[in-house]
Amino acid sequence: MLILVASVARGEVSFSRDVRPILSDACFQCHGADQSSRQANLRFDQLGVHSEIAQEAVIVAGNSAASELIVRITSTDPDIQMPPEDFERQLTAAEIRTLRDWIDQGALSTRHWSFVPPSVSRSPLKTRQSTQDWAINTIDHFVFDKLASNGLSPSPLVDHETLARRAALTLTGLPPSPETLNAFLSDNSVNAYDRYLDLLMTSTRYGEHLATIWLDLARYADTDGYQDDEPRIMWRWRDWLIDAINRGMPFDQFTREVLAGDLLSNATPTQILATGFHRNHRTNGEGGSIEEEFRLAYVSDCLETTGTVWLGLTLGCAKCHDHKYDPISQREYFQLFDFFNKTPEKGVYRGNNSPPLLKVPTALQRRKLEMRNLSDGTSADSRSLPQTTSIEAAIPDTMVMADGVNRTTFILERGQYDQPGEKVRAEVPKSLPPLSPHTPRNRLGLAQWLVDARNPLTARVEVNRIWAVHFGTGLVRTAEDFGSQGEPPSHPELLDWLATELIRHDWDVKKIHRLIVTSATYRQAAAVRDAAFTADPENRWLWRFPRRRLAAEQLRDQALFVSGLLVEQLGGPSVKPRQPEGLWDELAGGSSNAYKDGYQVDHGAGLYRRSLYTFWRRTIPPPSMATFDAPSRESCTARRDRTNTPLQALSLLNDTTYLEAAKQLAISTTQANTATRDDRLRTIFRRALLRSPTQEELSLLQRSYITLKQAFEGDVDSANKLVTAGQTGVPPIAVTDLAAYVGIGNILLNLDEFLVVE
Amino acid sequence: MHHQIPSPSYDRRRLLTHCGSVTALAAISSLLKQDSFGRPIEHPNDATHHTPRAKRIIYLCQSGAPSQLDLFDYKPMTRKYQGTDLPESVRRGQRLTTMTSKQAAFPIAASTFKFAQHGRCGAWFSELLPHMASLADDWCVIRSMHTEAINHDPAITLLQTGFQQPGRPSMGAWVDYGLGSENHDLPAFVALVSANIRTGQPLYSRLWGSGFLPSIHQGVRLRSVGDPVLHLSNPTGITAQVRGNIIREINALNHVQSRDLGDPEIETRIRQYEMAFRMQTSVPDLVNLEDEPEHVLAAYGSDVNQPGTYAANCLLARRLAERGVRFIQLFHRGWDQHLNLPRDLRRQCQSTDQPTAALIRDLKQRGMLDDTLVIWGGEFGRTVYCQGELTADNYGRDHHPRCFTMLLAGAGVKAGLTYGETDAFSYNILSNPVHIHDLNATVLHCLGIDHHRLTFKFQGRHHRLTDVHGNILHDLLT
Repeated sequence: MLILVASVARGEVSFSRDVRPILSDACFQCHGADQSSRQANLRFDQLGVHSEIAQEAVIVAGNSAASELIVRITSTDPDIQMPPEDFERQLTAAEIRTLRDWIDQGALSTRHWSFVPPSVSRSPLKTRQSTQDWAINTIDHFVFDKLASNGLSPSPLVDHETLARRAALTLTGLPPSPETLNAFLSDNSVNAYDRYLDLLMTSTRYGEHLATIWLDLARYADTDGYQDDEPRIMWRWRDWLIDAINRGMPFDQFTREVLAGDLLSNATPTQILATGFHRNHRTNGEGGSIEEEFRLAYVSDCLETTGTVWLGLTLGCAKCHDHKYDPISQREYFQLFDFFNKTPEKGVYRGNNSPPLLKVPTALQRRKLEMRNLSDGTSADSRSLPQTTSIEAAIPDTMVMADGVNRTTFILERGQYDQPGEKVRAEVPKSLPPLSPHTPRNRLGLAQWLVDARNPLTARVEVNRIWAVHFGTGLVRTAEDFGSQGEPPSHPELLDWLATELIRHDWDVKKIHRLIVTSATYRQAAAVRDAAFTADPENRWLWRFPRRRLAAEQLRDQALFVSGLLVEQLGGPSVKPRQPEGLWDELAGGSSNAYKDGYQVDHGAGLYRRSLYTFWRRTIPPPSMATFDAPSRESCTARRDRTNTPLQALSLLNDTTYLEAAKQLAISTTQANTATRDDRLRTIFRRALLRSPTQEELSLLQRSYITLKQAFEGDVDSANKLVTAGQTGVPPIAVTDLAAYVGIGNILLNLDEFLVVE
Repeated sequence: MHHQIPSPSYDRRRLLTHCGSVTALAAISSLLKQDSFGRPIEHPNDATHHTPRAKRIIYLCQSGAPSQLDLFDYKPMTRKYQGTDLPESVRRGQRLTTMTSKQAAFPIAASTFKFAQHGRCGAWFSELLPHMASLADDWCVIRSMHTEAINHDPAITLLQTGFQQPGRPSMGAWVDYGLGSENHDLPAFVALVSANIRTGQPLYSRLWGSGFLPSIHQGVRLRSVGDPVLHLSNPTGITAQVRGNIIREINALNHVQSRDLGDPEIETRIRQYEMAFRMQTSVPDLVNLEDEPEHVLAAYGSDVNQPGTYAANCLLARRLAERGVRFIQLFHRGWDQHLNLPRDLRRQCQSTDQPTAALIRDLKQRGMLDDTLVIWGGEFGRTVYCQGELTADNYGRDHHPRCFTMLLAGAGVKAGLTYGETDAFSYNILSNPVHIHDLNATVLHCLGIDHHRLTFKFQGRHHRLTDVHGNILHDLLT
């Protein structure tokens, strides 16, 4: 509690950091942007834009005692008290003090920060010697400045082994292989880390890893998500995504292609394929459903997803009435809606992929077709050949966008599909920069507007997302909400600087990733220092590297990788690795044939692919993902929780996949006949954690080994079952010995250090 | 005092964080008793706004929409109009599903089942539910429920989460978030699904999901096949003793890390591994019915011995309630009688009537009905007019959102009350309409929670189970 008081007492109140969030949360609902619910014709959301409030003596700059606002919020008279007694949000004493201080300090106000374009902020003074010593790039000057002004200092740089694992995990979702790690550790040149990063960022693992974040945003799944949750084929789009990320597609181009690839002049099939992004929403096939009700729901989904992904705005709040907190009216919601309202998509569709569709051959199919064309020297004429037909028949179709229907968009009263009001046409909200005069009033125009350098939101939202990839949390913690109710950025100048850098470098996303992972801020050690922890327990000022549990996909992929089980194969149809039996049958309905055989586990490679290729059934997501906070993919998700539960422990201890990894780890470690026990313990430890055990850790491992070995010697039957179940290539050592190493593997793959990026 | 109910887990974190150092942290975490999910259980009711009447909820969700016209809402007039078209003056342009909207006629189909009044209160039940009818004086029957949704997926999502589109927390998750757990070794929110039913609607994880609440609040589904909790049992070759050894060694190595790095999350992980080990004993104990006396098993009917049946789940519900699980959510499918209603509804009632009644009696005998609120019902009602061909002994009914019946029993509600009235065709509500939001507000009220104040900020809004709606039904409460 002391800390809170201290931070308030420390000094000047900032309108955007301290005051506006309070007004927004406690007052805007009745005194905000929504005209229909506005009380007493009084609004606080436009302070900094209009100033009529001053005339009414609601806020008297410099004199809180004379300000009606303060009188009201401190009153206990039910007739004048604000917020009203029965309102769900009341003010705390500290909040009242903040409002009072703000008025006494002059009641300065500005527009909500995220609607003001980022200026090319100069980095803080670089004169402090301590900054100079520590800083590696510009990011660090911003971070050091905040640390220093909060009485904190950064942590020292982390050792190379930890750094190598950290960078590989945040850039590729996998740890480095022992060879890659050793090459980096033995590279003594000054640019060793740069070379290591080159390797990581040109690996196709990079695109696979970063795609998982976009799959959450795109609400990507392999099923339709409504009643019977029928399968669909959208993995062609998923593969487009991985490829676009791997090729380092600039974010402005990425935006144009995913939102409007079909509208580009001379659009290529690949550009049209990109628009599958907005066909990933759920689609309803339930009998008896009303077509238009659901079609309109899909359009809303597209619009609201676009709002979250590019603008960081909760546009959905303006569907039924004006937005209570942000300057988006209901009319503006439906003007934006009009951009997406031209697709000839059906509201109710039973089956797999609903039109509009596109057939694009995969790279392999394209090669086959080319080879066939070369070999028989013909092209279109040969289509009747059986072989050609079979290649072409195998080309999967995928759902894409098209502007085929000239629909009129109406404001829907209270958001109801059957209550159309006034007609509206495609337009962008007035609170944001206007569309350029020559911009087409269609999705392409919208996409161009989103990535116009004058748009204050898009670049900030994107760099915030990149930041969160590496630090676990964005500079704006509420990655999905940059509006009035979102949290203000911890480092506003840094956020703005990164946003302007992204634009200055022609939206080169890889450039921003590299800036971040080369910074001293990123390269800090993760250990907790007591004094710093006391002052900033949530590490918002970044006095250490935010050590945190890996995401669901990374956990499983890492276990498969370090044990040598991972099958790395880029793209293709989704796979069905093992999951507990019966999960689908228990919840399935009777009216679909798609799942009559239940979950058919794959054989061979399908068991060991990276987790982003796991078949995603929306109504029953893969438990290996859901247990570790993956969303259901029913709607756009910009941020995952990171919980720590006993169900996770049970899964990591007992799930077949993790046990198999432990076995494989034990087998490959014990393959060499000559090794001693301690050699083996060191080897298996190093394989999992990429470092050597300390003497203390080694002696704990020795104890574990002895305990396990004794247990298995007393119960050889169990040892046999453990070692031989489904296993080939068992090394020529005693079965009780091997079983003990499987136990050691099970221990290592459950260590906190293994489960986190550190 | 007005204050938002904070998430217990977050609150705890805040408390810990403001106390600062790692040493202080260790001291505090030992003071706070925690459930298996790391949430404090010391004062679970601190977050309530008034004295609760109910400590826990057992929600018997009948998925598919049971026909109010054939079970509870007796409409003798319909006999007179049998086969005639439902007048437009009754239908009043109400939207229909596209399964019947193109029907040329809407012939009235009276129920073929006999109705009688039961108990001192004289509540009406049809012959299909003799056991439930025998408890007429314990039920509070709401005949005037209504909803907006007319298709199963949006409707059951609305029923369980207060919103037709996915993404909101389920009711149990809200309760878990607001009140935490009373139990050390089991989750506070458990879902049970009747197994081996392949007719009717599928169920979705979202119905017991946490939506935008921290995922720690999602319901844990107890399964009837395989492990009751996913990955509960040890793999082949790992005995309980070896598992114990392994967890001890994991925690020993984690302690070294914790000491060297000071990250409080490591301590939390250590506790979760200990809890996982305890659950390996507590959960099998829970689902093992061997200690139930024969007469109790008999009361639930012969199905009770078959894991995964509605009967077995009703008994498990009582066992969960005894162990302090706060929100117990059953799902039973197969109530969607569009066609062949007389045959199929009878069958459906046969498998559910006796266990439902047995659960109420069992709770009552143990004195637990006084602090347990039981809810029985589905996502909407069914139409008085026939879907498909109407014959002397056969008919079907389409979805009907404008009125349906739900039943409550136990803590805080008036036993023997029949509430609300529908018109002669059970088509429109005449008095005391109850929206799903009103019911949910009332259920939270019984738990001591003001539904206006159980909020969570997500995407800028303070969301609540009842959205911007919900009136507490004081008429139903004792």
